[in-house]
This record gives sequence, structure tokens and C-alpha cells, in this order.
Amino acid sequence: MLEELNAIEREGIEALQQAGDTEALEAWRIVYFGSKGRLKQAMSLFRDVPREEKPAVGARLNAVQANLLLAFEQRREAIGAGGGGAARTAGPVLDLTEPGITPALGRRHIISRVREELCEVFARMGFESVSGPELEDDEHNFVKLNIPEDHPARDPIDNFYVDDPATTKRPRMLRSQTSTVQIRMMETREPPLKIVAPGRVYRPDTVDATHSFMFHQIEGLYVDRRVTMADLKTTLFQFARAYFGEGAEVRLRPSFFPFTEPSAEFDMKIALRPGDPPKWIELGGCGMVDPAVFESVGIDPEEWTGFAFGFGVERLAMGKYGIPDIRMLFENDLRFLNQI
Amino acid sequence: MLASVRWLNTLLASGSPGSSGPAGAVTPDEAEHVLTFAGFPIESREDLPGGDVRLDVEVTSNRGDCLSHLGLAREIAAATGRQLIVPTPDPEPDGEPVGSFASLQNTTPDVCPRFTARVIRGVKVGPSPKWLVEALEAVGQRSINNVVDVSNYVLLELGNPSHTFDLNTLAGRTAVIRWAKKGERFEALDGRTHTLREDELVVADAERAVSLAGVIGGESSSVTERTTDVLLEVATWDPATIRRAARRLNIRTDAGHRFERIVDARTIDAAADRLAALILELAGGSLAEGVLDAGAPAVALRIVEMRAQRCRDLLGVDTPTTEMARLLTALDVDAHLDEPSDTLRCEIPPHRPDLTREVDLIEEVARTHGYDRIPMHETVQVRVAPPQADERAMREIADTLTGCGFFETVTFSFITPEEAALFLPAGMRVLRVDEERRKGEPALRPSVLPSLLRCRRINQDAGLRAEGGVRLFEFGGGYAEDDEGQTVESRNLALLIDAPDEQQGLRAMRGVLDAIGARVGGMAPVYEAHEGSRPADRPDATIGVSMGGVTIGAVRLFSNDILKRYGIEGVVVGAEVDLPALISVYPPRPVVRALAAFPAIERDLSVIVDEATTWASIEGVVKATGPALLEHASFVGVYRGKQVGAGKKSVTLRLRFRDPARTLRHEEVDPQVAAVVAAMQRDVDAALRA
Repeated sequence: MLEELNAIEREGIEALQQAGDTEALEAWRIVYFGSKGRLKQAMSLFRDVPREEKPAVGARLNAVQANLLLAFEQRREAIGAGGGGAARTAGPVLDLTEPGITPALGRRHIISRVREELCEVFARMGFESVSGPELEDDEHNFVKLNIPEDHPARDPIDNFYVDDPATTKRPRMLRSQTSTVQIRMMETREPPLKIVAPGRVYRPDTVDATHSFMFHQIEGLYVDRRVTMADLKTTLFQFARAYFGEGAEVRLRPSFFPFTEPSAEFDMKIALRPGDPPKWIELGGCGMVDPAVFESVGIDPEEWTGFAFGFGVERLAMGKYGIPDIRMLFENDLRFLNQI
Repeated sequence: MLASVRWLNTLLASGSPGSSGPAGAVTPDEAEHVLTFAGFPIESREDLPGGDVRLDVEVTSNRGDCLSHLGLAREIAAATGRQLIVPTPDPEPDGEPVGSFASLQNTTPDVCPRFTARVIRGVKVGPSPKWLVEALEAVGQRSINNVVDVSNYVLLELGNPSHTFDLNTLAGRTAVIRWAKKGERFEALDGRTHTLREDELVVADAERAVSLAGVIGGESSSVTERTTDVLLEVATWDPATIRRAARRLNIRTDAGHRFERIVDARTIDAAADRLAALILELAGGSLAEGVLDAGAPAVALRIVEMRAQRCRDLLGVDTPTTEMARLLTALDVDAHLDEPSDTLRCEIPPHRPDLTREVDLIEEVARTHGYDRIPMHETVQVRVAPPQADERAMREIADTLTGCGFFETVTFSFITPEEAALFLPAGMRVLRVDEERRKGEPALRPSVLPSLLRCRRINQDAGLRAEGGVRLFEFGGGYAEDDEGQTVESRNLALLIDAPDEQQGLRAMRGVLDAIGARVGGMAPVYEAHEGSRPADRPDATIGVSMGGVTIGAVRLFSNDILKRYGIEGVVVGAEVDLPALISVYPPRPVVRALAAFPAIERDLSVIVDEATTWASIEGVVKATGPALLEHASFVGVYRGKQVGAGKKSVTLRLRFRDPARTLRHEEVDPQVAAVVAAMQRDVDAALRA
């Protein structure tokens, strides 16, 4: 039996050297490794080997099989590599310069990516990402944000009301700002609260390169004992530095929003695109939560203080990626989506 | 608000020698900087021919007092230490009582808190002097005549709108403040005739409306070259009433703009004095003694208290109380310190109706102290929160999908009502916004799929053919209301894929959902696939998808009508699932089992069955037969062709057998395979293919 195995090995390796192309190789494979091949036959004889010889023969059988397989692989490689082999054949020649085959990968939308980047930075400062409904009512979009009945911001011309505000109590509307989520969170949770709320907002703007009737904002809210305006400034500063790089600067300018007091616009001195010279960019609004807002949601403004901030996502994404027209973001042309 | 730097300087004294205040006039640069950081950003700036500079100052809606040069000058004075010069006119009356020339009746004191009228007789209407013409031109206004110009000048200087009537044109020489009569016609100074409503306020003479209160004067009573006697109105109105009329009639005036932002009744007398004195100076005439005054009596100045420590706590600063008092005083807020309580008792000047609460004063302290002086810290304190499962789940879903070649879209939530109807779930109603706001597409989409179909079409028109077809997904809302008017807003994951045919599209979509299910919940979704073939007319069809026993959405096969409506070429298959339900199964809780130690034996079987026989029924038979060593039965493929015969198909399945404790022999598997074949023959009339 052992001699038989030695013969299979010797003859097999010799025959392999004669095989000059893939066809001959395949023929060899069938002779040696096929279902009725020489190795299969040898295996069928193994059963009759006396018990005491079985370990030695078995080991040899495995070795022969492994050696032949190795020799076969080497030979196949030699033939496959082309040119260098003994018999030059008409087989394919490896072309090292053919281009790669790109897997058909998709891509996330730039708005989602920027949203995630922003949430990630704020998460590091302990802000939880939350969401709220887009289809709101004036209670959450205005009333509880201290925006009174006759405030110009409530004009139907500047909002997407679903119900007629003149005839409906608590008319439904598409939210015009993500500040609604502040109210939702303060209504349903107890302070301390530290949240960011990214999402779609709707205002009937005339559409042009920088305006859309639907866009995205991200809102931040921090309510705790002894939250100060210095904390607000610090948070924005830390965000600016983490997101835009070490040199980023932040400044606040006094402003007015019904739901914060003191209120401010915040600017950041940043290079939106790497390599650009840093410049001041008006980013958004912020301030300390107005006591009237706290009272509207049943939080004692003497015990708790807080700050809120909000800014647009599109503007940041457009600046960062050099997108010239906001409409491109919503057309979803794959040629555009694939670029950024 | 357009402001002239030269004009601002007429209201500011330079610092006196030896004082710490800056010397000299305010330069345009300084004005721009100071105003910006006081909360009044400069939208634009223009150099004027005479050396003056015009600033377009943005004034927030709470600061009506700064819609005037005096208000802006006050802010500059407070910020730079300059002295504010408030004009203190003292017009000389001639002794004739005003009541003998005109009368006044205020029938609506609730919306006209105060109305004053003075009379000057014998004016000489003519051109304005050069300084007045230039001052008005500097802020973009055209000179009309000396009397009207003075009225405009006072508005821009002090922020108080006024109106001058030609007294002799007023029927009955009277001014009556009343609601307009229904349908009352009013010819305004802008040349337009308006038909008024009963909720609009007018100043009328004995016969007709002569002014739309607080908004615009009337043509009939306007001051012309022939005017000799004038009635000077200086008043204040309810902001909401003014806004309503101005909006409805679309009349934007400087007066209306200011009244909408509150003009305090107590500022009226100073403005009326200024108005009268300037008219006397520039147009001559004699001022009747006294004032026709109708309205509520003046209220005392408001007192607001501010706890100094509260201010420091809210701002995070350590500003001393005395410094706070100094800052507030510079804004004409009279602050008295109560030392035991460390509280500032503040008397609010009439021009600051916005200061009513402690926090309003804290803002004034912060603002004038400078937001730049509020400190920023190098570190933040953080309460460490657990990772957010929903955020992570969404990211896993998105990663899976982009790995499968899907592009994420962000599409508008509006569609046409017709589209909305096509995708409306049973028992629901379409919601819509005012058609005027969103022309043609006022409906809120009940599903994200129509938006994806639009996107698919856009890409088709662009000639885009992605490898393996276009694949799109979106995380987006669906909006509708139920029969009871209850709003239903869903957060959805919508998917759309191209496919060579529906069968393959369906399998591809199920495969994607299976992958998401595995990634998010470690489980496969279950599909409520109904028996039966798809009718030739291809109606809309949905296949319910559930996970963990809860329905989370559906795979959708589109009807020909829908494909035609969106102009889709080729076959697309959609799916939409409820995102909160899907991510509720996150994260997967895998239980690891030891890897199989012994090899399996696999057998492929091809059976010929009727076209209508489903894979599910074949799989069911295999499972029901339940061979002891069967580990898994999987679908390999379907073949149709001549050898199989018409109305038949050949289904290939793969059976995997394994014994966990030892190596299986083929002879052991053979009878089990035979049992499966026999069961398939018996139950689904399957013939083993040779």
C-alpha cells in the first residue's frame, strides 16, 4: 500500500510537469482528484489495510494528497502567470493595469452626514439627540415659546398652517423652527435636560439659491441648576473648536428672540473649507431660556436655569462642501449625491 | 431703519475735556461697531455725496425706541460714554385756547390710549431749509414741504409718528377717533382708495374718515401750499389693530412700523412740543394755547427690581452691583440700590416698554457690559449619558443600506393631492397646507414612496443607470389624519430599487430587509406573502413585513398606473417600514453556539412543480417531513424551459444534513432525502427532475 502511494505521488508530480495549459491541468486533476481518481481509489483500499498499519498508511495517504494538491496549485499558478512556463500557451495573460472593480456602494445624504457630525460633537459634551414631530400646533411652535398671539412671526403668510388659525383652536402647522422640541422635552421630562434636536423645518420662503421652504435646523437645550450664560458661550466655543478646528473663535451679539433672554446671535470665526482664511460667519441664535418659557411648561425658573441655541444645517453643509445652490440638496440627482 | 451718522451726532455731545469719554464726533466706523455689538447690526452702509454716511440699521422687534436717531444715539452714548443731547423745545403759544379752533373725540380709548392735537394758525407752507432737506435725503426721504417734512423729521428723530391735517378741510373742525364703518371708503395719501372694515380704526372729521389711524393720512385733509391752519396729531395706538389694518390693506409706512412696536403715551408731549416748535420756526404761524388730549391718564413710571446676585448667577460674571447700576443708568434706567438685599430698584423710562421683568434688566446689564466680557471656559462639565440606541440603530441601518448600494435622499414633504390619495392608507385623510403657500403641491405626503418615485424619475431623466439599478432610501415623515381628525405622523424608512422583473425585485428587497433585520435585531423579518399569482393588470400590491410579531411595514409592488404617472421605465419595487418599530428591536442579542465539529452533507434536489406552487409550500412540506438530521433547507433557484414544460417550473433546493456528534455517512442521508422527495410528490405534486 505504501509503495502504491509513493507511485501515485511520483507519477502524479511527473505528469504535472507535462501539463502545459489549463486543459491539461484539468485532465490531470480528474485523473488524480476526480471522484473516480487515483486518490479516491487509494482511499477505498484503505479499508482493507491491516489495523496495525492503518496509522502509518493513513498519514502517508494524507501527505501524498497534500503534496499533490500543493504541486497542482503551484503548477496552476505557473501556467496562469503566463509566459514564464515551459510551454507557452494561448491562455489569458494577467494584466496588472486593468482598473479596479468598484463595489456598487451607495452614499448617505450630505445633510444626514453633517447632522450626524454635529450630533456627535454635542454628544461628547453630554447632549442627547432627540426628535419631535414636524406636524405641530401653534401651542408648541408659538404660544409656549412666548410668541404672543399678535406677533408677526405667527402670520399665516409666513407659516404652513394645516388648520386655519383664524377659525381653529390650537391650529396644526408644520413647525417653523426646531425650538418646538425644547417644549416637547420640557413637557415630558424632568430637568436636568441636555438635548440637541436636529430636524426639518418649514417656512414659505421664495425658493432661490440660498432659500428653501423646507430646511434643517439643529436646536440645543441645557437646563440644570445654575446654568449660566458663560456656560452657553463655553459650549458654543467648545463646539466651534471641536468641529472647525483649534483656531475657531466665537462671539455673541445681542439680539432678540421671544423664547430666550438674554438673547444673542452667535458668530464663529472659522475656515469653512480647509485652507480658506478664517472669517466671521453668522451662524445662529441663542440665549438663556426665558422664564416665561419655563413657566409655560411648569418648570420653576428660580430653581432651574438653562440655555438654548439653534442654527441651520444647510448653510453649514453648503459652506463646508462648496455647494452653490440649496436646491441641489433636494433634487437628489445621484451625480450630485455621489460627489459629496 | 436708515440712520445718518451726521444726524446721530446732532444728538451726541463729545466728551468734555478732562473726562474719560471719547472726544470728537462719532465716526461711521465707530457707530457701526458700537451699534452692532449693542444688538443693532448694520445691514449696509453707504457714503453720501455731502460726506455723511447712511447706515441701514437692523432693529429687533422689541426695540421700537431705536427706530429713531435719538434711540440709536442713546445706545451709542451708553456704550461710549458720550453725553446724549435730548432736544428740549419750548414752543410759545399765542394765548388763544385750542378749543376754540377744533374739537376732539376719542370713542375707542382701549385701542387709542392717547391722542393729542394742537393747532397752529397762519403757517406759510413752502420749501424746507437746506439742513432739513439734506437730513431727510440722507435717510432716503424726499422733501415735500416744510410742514410735512417737520413731521417726518420728528418721526425719524424721536420715533414718534405724527400727522398734520389741513384744519380747514376738516368738516366740523373736529377729529373723531372711531372704528370704520363697514365698507367705508377712504382715499389715502398714496393715491389708493381703500374699502375699510369695521375692525379698522380711523380718524374722521364730522363726515368721513380723514386718516387710517396710525397707518396713513388721507388725501382730502393733507397739507398743501394753500394750507394756512394745521391740526397736529401726535398719538399712540394699539399695535395689533395697526398691524391688522396695515397687513390687510398692504400699506407699509414708517408710522405703522413704529406703532406696531409700541409708542409709549408718555413720550407724546415731548414729540408734540418738538413738532410745534419746528413748524413755528420754519413755517411761522401762531400756536393755540393748550392741547386737545383724549385718552387714559398717564401712568406712573414702572418699577422693576433686579437682584444683583441673580444677574451674576444667570450671566456667570462677577460684575459688582454698583457697576450694574451705572450700566443701567446710562440707558436712562434710574437704578437705586437697596443695599441690604443687594437689589436694584429700577425706574423704567417711557421709551422702554420692553423692560418689564427682572430678566429684561439682566439682559440690559449683559448687553451694555458687553457679551464679549462673559467668560468662556477651557473645559465643560459632563454628566455621562449611556449610548443612544436609536441613533446607533439608524446608523447601522444606513450603513447596511449604503453597503448594499443605496443612496440616501432628502426630499420635500409636500406632494400633489392626487399623489397623496394614491398612497393614503385606508381609513386616513390627506392633510394639506394653504394652497397659496405651496402652489400645486399643498398635500403632506402620507408616504415617502411617492417622493422616491419622483427621485427615481429625475435620475432616469438625467440618463443615470447605476450598476445593478438605482437604489434609494430615505428616513422621512409620513403625515395624515384619521377619521376622528387625529394627526398621524410616522417616521419611516422608505426604500426603492430597480429590478429586472418583479420576482427578482421582490427577492432583492426581501434580502435587503433581511439584512437590516439581522443587523438591527438579529432576526429575520416575516413576510405575509399571500398565495396566488400577480394578475396581468398588475394592481398595487403590498406584502406585510413584521418583526418580533409586530407589523412594521410593507413591501410594495406598484401598479402600472402608478409607474405610468411617474414615468418610470423598467421595474421598481418599494418598501416602507415604521422606523421606531424597526429600531425598537435594536440591539441584537446574539447567543453564540459552538461551531459544528463535524462536516455536513448537502444534497441539491430539483423538483418540477406547477407554476402556481409557491416556495413557501415546498419549504413547508420539507419542514413538515422533518427529517431527523436535516439542519437547513434553502432555496437555490427556479428554472423554466422546454425540458420542464409549459405551466411548470423546476425548483432547486438544497438540504443540509448534519449529526452534531459524529461524521455522517451518505448512506444515512439517502433515506431522509427519499422521504422528503416522497412528501413533496404527495403534497405538492412535485416530480424529481432527473
